Amino acid sequence: MNNQITLQTRREFLRRTVLGSSLAWTVPAFLSNTFSALQAEAADSAIQTPTGKDATILVVLQMAGGNDGINTVVPYANDFYHKARPHIGLKAAEILKLNDAVGLHGSMKGFKSLYDAGQLSVIQGVGYPNPNRSHFRSTEIWQTASDSDRIEKNGWIGRYFDNACPGADPAAGVVIGSQLPQAFFATKPKGIVFNNPQNYRFIANGTATEESYKKLNELEMSSPQPDDNSGGSIGMLPAGMPMTGGRAMDFISRTALDAQHSSDEVRAIATKVQNQAEYPGSTLGSSLKLVAKLIGGGLPTRIYYVSQGGYDTHTNQLQSQQRLLGDLADSVKSFTDDLKAQGNMGRVLVMTFSEFGRRVSENANGGTDHGAAAPMFIIGNKVKAGLLGQYPSLAPTDLYQGDVKYNVDFRSVYAGVLENWLKTKSTPILGKTFTPLPVV
Amino acid sequence: MLKPLSSDRWNYVTAAHLLNRAGFGGSPAEIQKLADLGLDQAVGHLLDYEKITDQTPNPDWAKPNPEEVAKYREAIRNGTPEQKQQAKREEQQLAQRRMLELRGWWLQRMAHGPRPFQEKMVLFWHGHFATSVEKVKNPYFMWRQNELFRRQATGNWQQLLLEVGQDPAMLLWLDQAQSKKDHPNENYAREVMELFALGEGHYTEHDISEAARALTGWSLEPQAQKYIYRSFIHDFRDKTIFGQTGNFTGEDFIAMIVAQPQSARFITAKIWNYFAGQVPSEALNDDLAAVLRANGNNFKPMLRALFRSEQFYAPDIIRNQVKSPVQWLVSSVRILESELPPPVVSWGILKQLGQDLFAPPNVKGWDGGVTWITTNTLLTRYNDAQALVDGQLPPLTAGDFAGKGGNKGNKAMQAMQRVRMGGVNVEKILTPAQRADKATIVAALEHRLFQTTLNTDQEQTLREFLDSKTKMSDADIRTTIRLMMSTPAYQVT
Repeated sequence: MNNQITLQTRREFLRRTVLGSSLAWTVPAFLSNTFSALQAEAADSAIQTPTGKDATILVVLQMAGGNDGINTVVPYANDFYHKARPHIGLKAAEILKLNDAVGLHGSMKGFKSLYDAGQLSVIQGVGYPNPNRSHFRSTEIWQTASDSDRIEKNGWIGRYFDNACPGADPAAGVVIGSQLPQAFFATKPKGIVFNNPQNYRFIANGTATEESYKKLNELEMSSPQPDDNSGGSIGMLPAGMPMTGGRAMDFISRTALDAQHSSDEVRAIATKVQNQAEYPGSTLGSSLKLVAKLIGGGLPTRIYYVSQGGYDTHTNQLQSQQRLLGDLADSVKSFTDDLKAQGNMGRVLVMTFSEFGRRVSENANGGTDHGAAAPMFIIGNKVKAGLLGQYPSLAPTDLYQGDVKYNVDFRSVYAGVLENWLKTKSTPILGKTFTPLPVV
Repeated sequence: MLKPLSSDRWNYVTAAHLLNRAGFGGSPAEIQKLADLGLDQAVGHLLDYEKITDQTPNPDWAKPNPEEVAKYREAIRNGTPEQKQQAKREEQQLAQRRMLELRGWWLQRMAHGPRPFQEKMVLFWHGHFATSVEKVKNPYFMWRQNELFRRQATGNWQQLLLEVGQDPAMLLWLDQAQSKKDHPNENYAREVMELFALGEGHYTEHDISEAARALTGWSLEPQAQKYIYRSFIHDFRDKTIFGQTGNFTGEDFIAMIVAQPQSARFITAKIWNYFAGQVPSEALNDDLAAVLRANGNNFKPMLRALFRSEQFYAPDIIRNQVKSPVQWLVSSVRILESELPPPVVSWGILKQLGQDLFAPPNVKGWDGGVTWITTNTLLTRYNDAQALVDGQLPPLTAGDFAGKGGNKGNKAMQAMQRVRMGGVNVEKILTPAQRADKATIVAALEHRLFQTTLNTDQEQTLREFLDSKTKMSDADIRTTIRLMMSTPAYQVT
């Protein structure tokens, strides 16, 4: 405990004297709940200081590649469906019926049990106006919550941190993976990224080496020191473009500080906390397994981000989607079992998304090409369970260029999650006002 | 205007910048050699690589092997379930071994081959036409595409686009091989415009579906393992692309792309970004595109102008680019005058750092720039630095090797346990005079690793570290090098 106090004092010192208050956000704030709480009392009440013990948590799950929503939430009783998909259409007997019209893909038993328990909400026909069929552009649109004709650099999660959590711990956002998704790009970037907690540390061959590493990474900024608005943040950049506002090294220096200060805590939690459910051995399963540990260990995180790839099913879709959706449902089910055993299920909401659905008609290779609207899943104790929104019409005359039309804007879902779950105003984060979909 | 750098600005620092960006860096002696040549000759030394013979032998499996293909297809078609399983498993294991060899082969060319600039261009094209073995599944095709990038490294834009479109790996990667007139697959038609040659906003959805029809017939002959044009699946009707109507072929479509002025702007902006580390200004982009077009869309003259330009040596360009993982690894062994780790280790390191060669995350390639750096990859770079310097295995786990399925990861880990690597030979990089005291040690290493100095606090930290070591043994020097590599400054070039 003494150690922690010393660390806090040192960081506080850095924050106030060396970096100056304008750079406070670059310095990892305090890992201790007590201190964070004190800070929050003094701060604007709109500012959310995660305590790690009782704040609500959002887990964003990306299904990368464009999941075929039509074979996920299957309109099994619809003639247009079977006509458009003579080879890959799923028969009534193969699916898990939710009502007389639709059912879940047969591999999603885990989701069906959550649905039956009132913990799954299926939002049908989610999309956005003027849909784009490029993976990259459409992913960017979902990640930034921008209109499809506007290029936005910062992500919606990044803007949540900018607006609602200034000065929060860098671990307010945790990405399990190796890259920071664009959703996290921000004016004042936050979020730590790792996939293996055991290697998430500086491995030193002695205390002198370790001490030297810490000093070398304390404050390496190119001069002059940037001020608050000088950019140099990842959020100022289009993906893949190096920064123009500040030197690359400033960004790396900030990341080095975040790494140094978050690694000890993450590793301690990952070692200490035991999972209380069996998970699939997949990447997604391992990611959620780790997230459950971090939640159980009280990391002060508001948003976790995990992803599952492989949904770009242009060929032989039946086989691959079976595997992917099965993995998704099983992994999420294990995760919720684990959280229940921990007593944390009431604090956690899982939201899935994919950059687009796929065409109504199958292609010649037993697959489907890039499409538009698709369902989203929300999982949690307090979700508005059942089917939300309308299933889009599959009648050929109702399609736009072979795609179903959306009837829920994904930003209304974001707005619902922000307002009703993370308890923050959605308009400043989404850039305009969307009617929050009451997902919880 | 692209103005040549004035000769009085050509020195050790600018020469190092050229070698770092147009190649993979080098020792102080190599940098000095370039500095002594003068700007034009130094640029020529790197760019006119055709004059330097390269006798690197190809992997022995890097050729079509119709018998092997036929044998495999026979087993899959007519074998018992056990035989099928066996054939698939063997095929997978063989592919894995070959991919490992291929990765090692290419890295070796980058690190110690005679033509670093050519390899730097191959790496550019690989990231640009990002194709992954995860879908292609065929090491011979991946090697063949790599050789195409080498052959056309600084060649003609239209020729390159044409050859890439008909390249077996690309035909599989973007599904062109499966596109038929009844159901044209739009994947390649879309990406060639969006990601390879024009950029979003310079074509319409209609152009995509029309171009997809023009491209039908471009296919793959699986047994001979090469491109084939199949007229019976080509759509011979008229198409309207970029507002022009005609009975266009795939070749016509590629020519029409290159005829768009945007095409030269698009590719030169990306090349500038790759070498300079920034998005070019509109004016600079115009100049670069003009040089490319004025030279018949041949890249070499544009590249020469780029590396001779004052803009390339501007203060906000030098030492302001995040090293890609490949750059980090390859330049480290060049700077330290050591050897690459064995292929299985290099592979693990690059996967951990987010740049698995021959397996980019998607067709957009690696985002690059600051996205290489996360809390995780930064700590990993610091830890892998110790492995490189000390010649120990880096802290990898089976998960770092795990592919899409199976126990690949564990196999690779077992292979790693048998690996021995060499570390840095201190005598090679410090003279006895430089080694005399801690201040000269720090200064000599800074000169080698950064071609500049760290800040005074950091220098002080390093001297204090050496102070704590009474003997200043080879091991202590190696730890000092590792500490220097464990800084934000070492991550940029």
